[in-house]
Amino acid sequence: MPAETLIIAASPASPLVWALLALLIAGELGLLAWALLDLARRPKEAVTGGTKILWLALCLLAQIVGPVLYLTLGRVRPAAMSAERGAPGGDQAAGEAGAVGAAAGAEGFAGEGRAAEGFAGNGRAAAAVAAMYPEPGGAASAPAVELVAVAKRFGNAAALDGLTLTVPEGSVFGFLGPNGAGKTTTLRILAGLAHADAGAVRVLGRHVGAPGADVRARIGYLPDVPAFYKWMTAAEYLRFAGSLFGLRGPALEARVEALLELAGLAGVETRVGGYSRGMRQRLGVAQALVNAPRLLLLDEPTSALDPLGRREVLDMVAALRGRTTVFFSTHILADVERVCDTAAIIDKGRVVTQASVAELRRRRGGLHRLLVEVDDPWRLEAELQSLPWLRGFDLAPDGGLRLSVDDLEAAQRAIPALVSSLGLALRRLQSDEPSLEDVFVGLLEAEQA
Amino acid sequence: MRGFAAFFRKELRETAHTWRLFVLPGFLLFSALSAPLITYFTPLLVDRLGSAQEGFSIQVPEPTALAAYVEYLGNLGELTMFALVIAYGSIVSGELRSGTGALTLAKPLSRGAFVLCKWLSQALVTAVAAVAASALCVAVTAALLGPGPAWRLVGAVAVWAAYAALMLAVMVLLSVLLPAPAAAAGAGMGVYAGLVVLAQFAATSRATPAGLMGAAVALLRGEPAQWAQPVSTALLATALCLAAAVWRFSRREI
Repeated sequence: MPAETLIIAASPASPLVWALLALLIAGELGLLAWALLDLARRPKEAVTGGTKILWLALCLLAQIVGPVLYLTLGRVRPAAMSAERGAPGGDQAAGEAGAVGAAAGAEGFAGEGRAAEGFAGNGRAAAAVAAMYPEPGGAASAPAVELVAVAKRFGNAAALDGLTLTVPEGSVFGFLGPNGAGKTTTLRILAGLAHADAGAVRVLGRHVGAPGADVRARIGYLPDVPAFYKWMTAAEYLRFAGSLFGLRGPALEARVEALLELAGLAGVETRVGGYSRGMRQRLGVAQALVNAPRLLLLDEPTSALDPLGRREVLDMVAALRGRTTVFFSTHILADVERVCDTAAIIDKGRVVTQASVAELRRRRGGLHRLLVEVDDPWRLEAELQSLPWLRGFDLAPDGGLRLSVDDLEAAQRAIPALVSSLGLALRRLQSDEPSLEDVFVGLLEAEQA
Repeated sequence: MRGFAAFFRKELRETAHTWRLFVLPGFLLFSALSAPLITYFTPLLVDRLGSAQEGFSIQVPEPTALAAYVEYLGNLGELTMFALVIAYGSIVSGELRSGTGALTLAKPLSRGAFVLCKWLSQALVTAVAAVAASALCVAVTAALLGPGPAWRLVGAVAVWAAYAALMLAVMVLLSVLLPAPAAAAGAGMGVYAGLVVLAQFAATSRATPAGLMGAAVALLRGEPAQWAQPVSTALLATALCLAAAVWRFSRREI
């Protein structure tokens, strides 16, 4: 009987059997490869029911059954992981979206004409976005972003050359630099779209690019020139983006409505292919917020916006302070001065300096400047010489006196009294602090020298 | 895989909203309609041509439903494959070039899901279009030439589907490897030509995907067909192409 069985099994006249066998083997190997690849890439905290070693043994020993068990039962879904950690992404974000939607619904929707106006005005945009997040508070934990000696080359050109910086969680961080400094490359690495050649990149406490690590569920990203599927409407795109984060049903709809309202695109039925650059930029900001990210990466977010739209984006960014971390690159120094707590200035792929915005301003000489305008500056000049806090002065082209002082408060108190005692008329007394632009240009000039 | 269902739905909707809908399904339907018409009218045209010139005579066999099916299958194996290769030269690289891929892949959609959705959605579209086109071919053929061996056509088209699945996977891989759509399409034509050459040798025709179209025609004619090994190896090659595409795409920069 065994001999007959062998003859039948080995018969070449059974191509169907061979085909089925080949399919079975291919399927089994595919399943095993899928399970092993997933297991290798997955961090240990994202594996349930035991350790990775146990799952590996099960997959290898129990053919078909092991991989099926691992793929169905052994993996923790990213949304579930986010919820466990209290992150505002994933299912938790879905839960919060209801409140956002309710708020947006109470405000009502604007018509097509709103598209031209830009972001929803009167602070509603900022309020809608802020409502997506829990109230600020609590001690900040690990830095939101840590880059240590990161290097990246494109051919012979070094885009990043030992870039090191730390972004505190909950801060609004400005990332300044001239064209070609490496800002966009840094953002692409943080978003997981590019890989560093050397150095360590940690986002929200996890390595980016390490096998299995995936922080994308907890970040929002707006590239410098956002591109969308032209055949979709804004609402369709936001639904699509939300569904990639696991949002669905009424929670997704509520969030889409809130973000459309935020972007000033509620009621706009035109397909994205017909949008202006400003409309696309606003939709870009909205899609970056769809998962209520813990880290918002914005690459030149205000570059294509009109003044009103720019103000609304900055208001929105400011409203997120303490609720989430905002990391945005820009050429517009005034934007950084307006909303950022901390800023880094980079040039040629290296950080020239990183400090709070106030500290950056102070670094420009350490002295404060005051502009004083009186009806007779010569008399005031003669009296100023003996004052202890004065470090120097000169006559401004408009006839005022530009004073350099080391005690700003003392000077602001003493000058009006002095002017009054001399019987002079005080026309102007104003702080003439160096702008971030002065700091930026000064530091870059020093670096290049 | 993360985001698979959402991205798969988007791919299907994109097919319905863009030119993709008209290319491959269009070719399939055109083939389905033209094959029985050409088969039906060719003897008439040849007869007219022959009668117009004295002393000139061409013997054309009587048109049959089977001949129409063979013509249709020939179109599937050639014209439709050309359309597939050209249409899908940018199936992955197109999204990266336009920038939509960067925005999508910065979200928790895995690179593997991105690539596999591309293949699976277009394979589904091709399969549905092939079913519709074959039904149309059977109906038009029946109307013009009478009923034919429809079940044998179903088998032959099923074998062709394995060929289409393989070429689609080849194009996905080439589109991952080559950023320029024209370069990917050119390489795809090279793969197609290679399979045609390999089909001329008995050994490779019997044991590799090169024998798929020969086996499909044999099935249609009711002849003994060695389809199992070509189909098995085609499915294996499809899986390998997709695995290679996922592996390479997971490592590339966007």
